[in-house]
Amino acid sequence: MITLKDKILSGVMKPTRYTGGELNAVIKDASKVDIRFGFCFPDVYEIAMSHLGMKIIYHLLNEREDTWCERIFAPWEDMERQMKEHGMKLFALESGGEASDFDILGFTLQYELSYSNIVNMLRLAGIPPLASERGDGYPLIYGGGPCAYNAEPIADIFDFFMLGEGEEQIHETVDVIKQWKKEGGRSKKELLQRLVKIGGIYVPSFYDVDYNSDGTVKSIVPNDPNAPAVIKKRIMKDFDAAYAPDKIIVPFGEVVHDRVMLEVMRGCMRGCRFCQAGYIYRPLRERKPETLLDLANELLGCSGYDEISLSSLSTSDFSGLPELTDGLLKVTEEKKIGLSLPSLRIDNFSLELMEKVQKVRKTGITFAPEAGTQRLRDVINKNITEDDILKSTALLFAGGWTNVKLYFMIGLPSETDEDIKGIAELAGRVLGVYFDIPKEERAKNISITVSTSSFVPKPFTAFQWFPMDTREELVRKQRLLRENIPSKRIRYTYHDNKTSYLEGVFAHGDRRRCKTIIRAVELGCKFDGWNDFFDFELWMRAFEETGIDPDFYTSRERSYEEVLPWDHIDAGITKEFLIRENEKARAAKTTPHCRLECANCGAARFGAGVCTEKRGVRGE
Amino acid sequence: MSNYILKYGRDERVKFISHLDFVRCFHRAVRRSRLNFVFSQGFNPHPVMTIAQPLPVGVTSECEYMKVGFVTDMSCGEIAAELNRCMPPGFKVYAVYKLEGKEIDLTKINSAEYMTEIECSAPADTQALMRETELIVPKKTKSGIKESDIRPHISELEDLGFRDGIQTVRMAVSCGSAYNLKPETVVEAMKKYCPGFEPVFTASHKRRMTADGAEIL
Repeated sequence: MITLKDKILSGVMKPTRYTGGELNAVIKDASKVDIRFGFCFPDVYEIAMSHLGMKIIYHLLNEREDTWCERIFAPWEDMERQMKEHGMKLFALESGGEASDFDILGFTLQYELSYSNIVNMLRLAGIPPLASERGDGYPLIYGGGPCAYNAEPIADIFDFFMLGEGEEQIHETVDVIKQWKKEGGRSKKELLQRLVKIGGIYVPSFYDVDYNSDGTVKSIVPNDPNAPAVIKKRIMKDFDAAYAPDKIIVPFGEVVHDRVMLEVMRGCMRGCRFCQAGYIYRPLRERKPETLLDLANELLGCSGYDEISLSSLSTSDFSGLPELTDGLLKVTEEKKIGLSLPSLRIDNFSLELMEKVQKVRKTGITFAPEAGTQRLRDVINKNITEDDILKSTALLFAGGWTNVKLYFMIGLPSETDEDIKGIAELAGRVLGVYFDIPKEERAKNISITVSTSSFVPKPFTAFQWFPMDTREELVRKQRLLRENIPSKRIRYTYHDNKTSYLEGVFAHGDRRRCKTIIRAVELGCKFDGWNDFFDFELWMRAFEETGIDPDFYTSRERSYEEVLPWDHIDAGITKEFLIRENEKARAAKTTPHCRLECANCGAARFGAGVCTEKRGVRGE
Repeated sequence: MSNYILKYGRDERVKFISHLDFVRCFHRAVRRSRLNFVFSQGFNPHPVMTIAQPLPVGVTSECEYMKVGFVTDMSCGEIAAELNRCMPPGFKVYAVYKLEGKEIDLTKINSAEYMTEIECSAPADTQALMRETELIVPKKTKSGIKESDIRPHISELEDLGFRDGIQTVRMAVSCGSAYNLKPETVVEAMKKYCPGFEPVFTASHKRRMTADGAEIL
């Protein structure tokens, strides 16, 4: 039988993005569950299916008999056209059912440039994008993930947000919604008043934001007696025992991270001052190697994947790494499975480890010194030295690697032209390390790539008060760096600064920005993270038409006294700590990592992970 | 360590999987199973397997063949059951045959039978079409699109009726490395040579593949 689905799918690229039916996808009877939950990822299938958080929430919810969690992703442009042509609405992959029939749609907020896709998905679902325009009878729309910590630019779209780690919170939320439905599903407001009592739930409509005449935020005050003045993030205290799925969906087409991912740690102990993830996921918590080995065997067995990768913010800081890799290598060698270790640091880089995991192909390796001079690396608290970098690359070259990528940021606070030139000089010295190896002992065809992205100050970092460099200044610095690259053997690539600029506007945005996003989508903006779709001029038009000056959010240095749009959110670290870090950055003073010395960031109140380990000089 | 011939197929649920994605999907199914692949020797070892014909995206089939090496003590029936346990829903292994020598040669396959549904406002006269001595249509080849006479490559074309705007035909056409004719190309010829026939959409199911008239397995 020829079906409408056949016709639609014959007209699109990669139709398996939309068919569902993958191995380990969960199929239930919609009439036999109490809650239909749509996990929404505002990007295309290949990105969405690479996301570890989705795998956790998907299987965690589907273990409940009363809930069916399905996947809902952003259709690519060709599919969107087909859907509009045939009057098809946004649908879930498992049942093919329409998104608007769900009880809850949970969006994961991974990066600011996906905001336009959220609005576009709601439009495709026939759901009004503004929460205030959605009466009872529409699905509840909520958001979680790193961008929920400053979700103000999209606050008017969402009914509520979940702050922090969702494994417990989501169960509590589903329980409340189920009970509310059972009681007859009275007004949404009444439901939100119940939900807001769950720790970490932020209901934006329960807060009034006032502004000063200069455009800055004056105050953020609850307008509902149930809403807390400050919303605290949730974490999984016992990370080793935290839920980890023992099944994963295996896509038919190739996705970005097409492998088993083992989440070995959460959080990071380093405290790089630009890094939002390093602050908001505190404290560092680890899983036990034996827990991970069991999980690895389960996941490899149920998926048939031939590659496994360790996932964390800084894999080489994982204290169980030698034990884990030894255990994994036993399995991977026998079954011809590839093991990859991303996120290794330069300073504790082990060539032995690299040799172990990369037995056959010596593919490229990326290091991230982040800044070109020691002074600036101290400002950002990267805590690696030039000596670390040169020693590690010497080991690599001697081991036969010839493809090294060095990653830096430009536009960092206090950066001077000397720091930019320092990037070129450092790359030159790395090349020198290669030429110092006798010709007969080194592999041929050296390739060094210097790659820069533009620094975007993020909320809940030590740099949240700093302005961003203007686009003109970033272009000048890119040019300056290019001119100073000392050899043709060093390639220089850089990230487009228009998307960084927009990211900066979003990251520091307040509630007034929401109308701009909705307008931009009306004008046609979507998939802003994709070069093929990103239309800067269209965004500038949306700003103009909604009367917003985007520079207001990027070009201002903020005082410590200024009320920040996210001041009612508690991400686990104190503002006093961030101010101390900011001051130390200004003095180019470093802060030791959590295992050496406690920096009193505030995360110790969770009583978990590294905060409870014995360590250096003083405890918290 | 032996070579096996598998006869397998796929239904509507998985018909949009590309050939390369199917190969990867099969690799993973074997990794999940208690079977073990025979790996090629060399710098980058890969499983030893050959698929008779790549199945185009959108086509369902009950007659695909592959040759594959397994290291296993299982019987042919057990291998089929094990693969059916491990393949994603929508795939089915119908038969497994253990090769003694070279008694089955998948490269000899030269004909395929399809059931094709064509959405159209009025049906094509297939008997009139088969009376034509040549059917010249543009056909995709490795060196670009060329005009080709496909008449010698259609051995049977039977009209199975027209209902609710869908004409169903059964066709037996050349397939394999010497000449491969897709059902859509036959529909192209129907469009060109049958007056008043305007196909809108085509969907095909492969029923049989034969070598010189005989089924492989």
